[in-house]
Amino acid sequence: MTLSEIANGKLAPRTGIRLDNISKRYGDHLVIDDVSLNVEPGTVTALIGPSGAGKSTFLRCINLLERPDSGTIQVDHHTIEPGKVINAKDLAALRRTVGMVFQSFNLFPHMSALKNISFPQQKVLGRSKEEADERALQLLERVGLKDKAHQHPGRCSGGQQQRIAIARALALDPSIMLFDEPTSALDPEVGLEVLAVMRELADDGMTMIVVTHEMQFARDVSDTLVVMADCKIIEQGDPRAIMSDPQEDRTRRFLRAVLER
Amino acid sequence: MDAFSAVLQGLPMTIVLTLSAFAIGIVGAVPLAVGLSSSNIVVRLACRLFVDLVRGVPIIVWLFLLKFGIQVGTFKFNPVGAAIVGLGVVSIAYLAEIYRGGLESVPRGQNEAADALGLSRGTTFLRVLVPQAFRIVSPSIATYLTGLLKDSSIASTIIVAEMVFQSQAFARQHPTMEGILPYVLVGILYIVLSLPVAYLSRSLDARMRKAVYA
Repeated sequence: MTLSEIANGKLAPRTGIRLDNISKRYGDHLVIDDVSLNVEPGTVTALIGPSGAGKSTFLRCINLLERPDSGTIQVDHHTIEPGKVINAKDLAALRRTVGMVFQSFNLFPHMSALKNISFPQQKVLGRSKEEADERALQLLERVGLKDKAHQHPGRCSGGQQQRIAIARALALDPSIMLFDEPTSALDPEVGLEVLAVMRELADDGMTMIVVTHEMQFARDVSDTLVVMADCKIIEQGDPRAIMSDPQEDRTRRFLRAVLER
Repeated sequence: MDAFSAVLQGLPMTIVLTLSAFAIGIVGAVPLAVGLSSSNIVVRLACRLFVDLVRGVPIIVWLFLLKFGIQVGTFKFNPVGAAIVGLGVVSIAYLAEIYRGGLESVPRGQNEAADALGLSRGTTFLRVLVPQAFRIVSPSIATYLTGLLKDSSIASTIIVAEMVFQSQAFARQHPTMEGILPYVLVGILYIVLSLPVAYLSRSLDARMRKAVYA
């Protein structure tokens, strides 16, 4: 069975997401300037760009960890306008559809790996403890960490913690996964185990949006490369095309900086 | 009666005062701590005002105000009631501040992960934030409890027959050097009483450390 089959029992319906005219400011400081992005079902979008470009903030706007000041988010027949009042049902639906993986893992340190994955299933999806535990064990096995089931996160390496965090998000059957620099806090070698899991997920057809500095991953795995700089999307398209022949000067400078390192 | 028996007579009352006030504080501080970090500015300021007011006035003043300053119809506080309520309210204020510090020291990512997973606010608070905050604040709570144990002696000023009150009574009847003896004994007793609290706190801390990192 593939990762998402395990997560879903059977494959969840593929869902895309559409973001229109998203803007976000902190006080007078503009961080997202009228950004629109359409992500087709089953595709992988890599979001790259210099730090401070607004990539992470934009990603966090998608599941409303950051509240955009204006724009619309359309996912799964739900249209959310973050500038207006968001009703609890839409917010819950959005968070149920969208899973997220953080740079700093954010596992619950007082729970075992198994419980980290099992507990949210019981609370959010109302699964029984037995069912949730079984699902959690399957996912742990799939990310190669079945032997860590009863360890607390503090006893796991960074790469292991991040794989547990991916399993935790997958356990809730999301149709879309957001990754916020999932390997940035990891040693290059350890990062590879995480990237391998993500590749597998992409092969399964999961819709993914990945903020990353891993150019190899962006080139090989993503269907769409999106370059952000100065609070805007400055270029997007086929990753190989952009990497070999960027149209924008800003993209060229950024790519040169990361690729010639 | 010898000095030791005199002091021991006050022991049950000291324990009752301390544990009752502590119980009131432990429970009552929860909503106050939530209020202190509320996003509603009116709620937050009201809670802040309460905490600063209660902590800004000496306990002895609160006890006198409760004992002699409150009369509703025919109701007046008896000394023990005034002492328990007074020490309890003071405990609420101090413990709320301790809780708030603990909740704020839980990394923000924990809240974000819970939000992203779609956990409700109540579940996030009780199952994610509180267990982590409790580990952080349990030594402070133990320190507060040993402080409260000693502060309960202030109840002697409104005629509650706890250990210091009994010591004073004995001293008054023995205006010789013997009158000093109960104060020595009561000092030792306070130290002895605080030992199990310190021990419990340390073992609890060690157990939770293990639970988090093992």
